[in-house]
Order: sequence, then C-alpha cells, then structure tokens
Amino acid sequence: MTDAGDDQLEEDPRGRDAMRQLLKRALSVEALAKESPALVAGVQRRIRQRSRGRFFADGWGTTQSRVSYLLVGLMTLTVAVAAYFALGPWALH
Amino acid sequence: MSDDADAGLIDRLVLRDERAFTALVKAYERRVFALVLRMIGNPAEAEDLAQEVFVQVFKAIGSFRRESKLSTWIYRIAINLCKNRSKYLRVRHTGEQEPLDAQPERAPTLESRGSYSDIARPDDMASGKQAERIVQKAIAELEPSFRECLILRDVEDLSYEDIGEITGLPEGTVKSRIHRARAQLRDIVEQALGEKIG
Repeated sequence: MTDAGDDQLEEDPRGRDAMRQLLKRALSVEALAKESPALVAGVQRRIRQRSRGRFFADGWGTTQSRVSYLLVGLMTLTVAVAAYFALGPWALH
Repeated sequence: MSDDADAGLIDRLVLRDERAFTALVKAYERRVFALVLRMIGNPAEAEDLAQEVFVQVFKAIGSFRRESKLSTWIYRIAINLCKNRSKYLRVRHTGEQEPLDAQPERAPTLESRGSYSDIARPDDMASGKQAERIVQKAIAELEPSFRECLILRDVEDLSYEDIGEITGLPEGTVKSRIHRARAQLRDIVEQALGEKIG
C-alpha cells in the first residue's frame, strides 16, 4: 500500500477532535517545561564565538540602539571642549 | 509577523544587520522552542537546539530564496536539526561512539528536567495529567517522520502545503502519515487508558 493511498481513509471527526485536544494539552509548553526561555543571549554568544568576534562582538549592536554611540561621542566632545577652555590659553582664572 | 514585515526583515538580515537578527530571534523564539520541545520532549535539549536553529538561520539567510514563508523556512531548519539530534541521542543511548567533531555543541550547565520517558510520576495521580503523560509517551513511540507530520498539523496547526514544504514530502504522503500517526497514537493511548477517546 502506498503512503498516498491512505489519505482517502475516513476518520471519526469527534474522536479526532478529542484526540487533537488531548495532544495539544499534552504537548503544550506548560506541560513539558517550566517556561519558554529567552534565547537571544545564548544565540548571540554562539554566533560571536563561531564568527571569532566578527558578529555580536560586544553588547552595543545587540542590546542598545545606535543612539548610544552618538551619546558617548557627544559626551566625549563636550568633555574635551570643557577641558580645552578650562586648561587652554583662554582658561578662566 | 506579517509577510511584508518579514520581507523588510529579510532584507536587513541578508546585510547581516545584528539588530534585525535580534528582532527575528525575539519574534520567533517562543514558536521555535515550542516546536523543538514537542519534537524532542526534553526542555534542556530543546533550549540548546532552539539556539542552534537561530545560529543556522543566521548562517544560511543568504541562501533563503523567498519561495516559501520565512516561518516555514525556519521550521524546516528546526525539523532537520531535531532529526539529527534525535539520531545523535539514539546513538548515544545505545553506547555507540560518534566522531567528536560530529557532536553538536552542548550546554553542560543546563540540567535536564525530564523527558517523554518519565511517565510514572507520583504527582500525576489526577487523571487529566496522567492522560497527558500517556500521550507524551505515546508520541515518543511514534516513528519520527510520523511524529513530525502529526505535530506540525495537529499541534502547530499548519496547512498540508506548509508541512510538505517543511518536510520535503508530497502533500499526499503528509496526509497519509498524519492519518497513520493519529491511528497509532489513538491505539497506544486507548490501550493505556483502557477506554475509548471521543
């Protein structure tokens, strides 16, 4: 008998629905595990290791937005300018 | 996630956009973990394997030809990895050795919290829970190719067409395997329960 021949076989819809409900309950995540884990950190770590740091090399590109780069850049510039005015030729006395 | 959203995401993924990839993992992690858990039955193995699915997605996204839905493609990767892992676990349990480089990456700190084989639990006296345990054990007894079709159809609610794409089987074969899997499952469960279902 071929596989394809079997799909013509009749099933009792009531029994099938009851079985399907039981199957869904038995194979729910709640029935099989305490919780669904967060996978992001583990996936990023694996890619970082296997790409030898080419991807996900630090937390920047993954957990924070690019605004962080801009913010730190601006802060550095501000400190440099402040230091220049505080210590340079126009230093306030 | 809609097809349009997927299309935009795929464009960014192909460019190796890390934030896009993180968004993809967050969007699909629950579904992938649930599918793998249902196939494998062990939460620790499922977590390890689900992470591996996304690593493979990251590696192979350039070869995704957009002929199927992104979710279908991810499911196909998940199902293939489940098959390989099941095979590996069977070999390991029978005491045979595999070459070291053929063994998948493991997470040694993860502790197994049980699997489908743990049927007799003292706290499962309630008949509902007992029935669930019987079904879990019965699922583990099905032939893997039958089990995957049944889970994709009756638990994941996928269409026959999608299941065909995921498994690489013709639609008729998918229907046939689902039918047989249901019949086998019902026999095992009814025998264990001592009563008819439905």
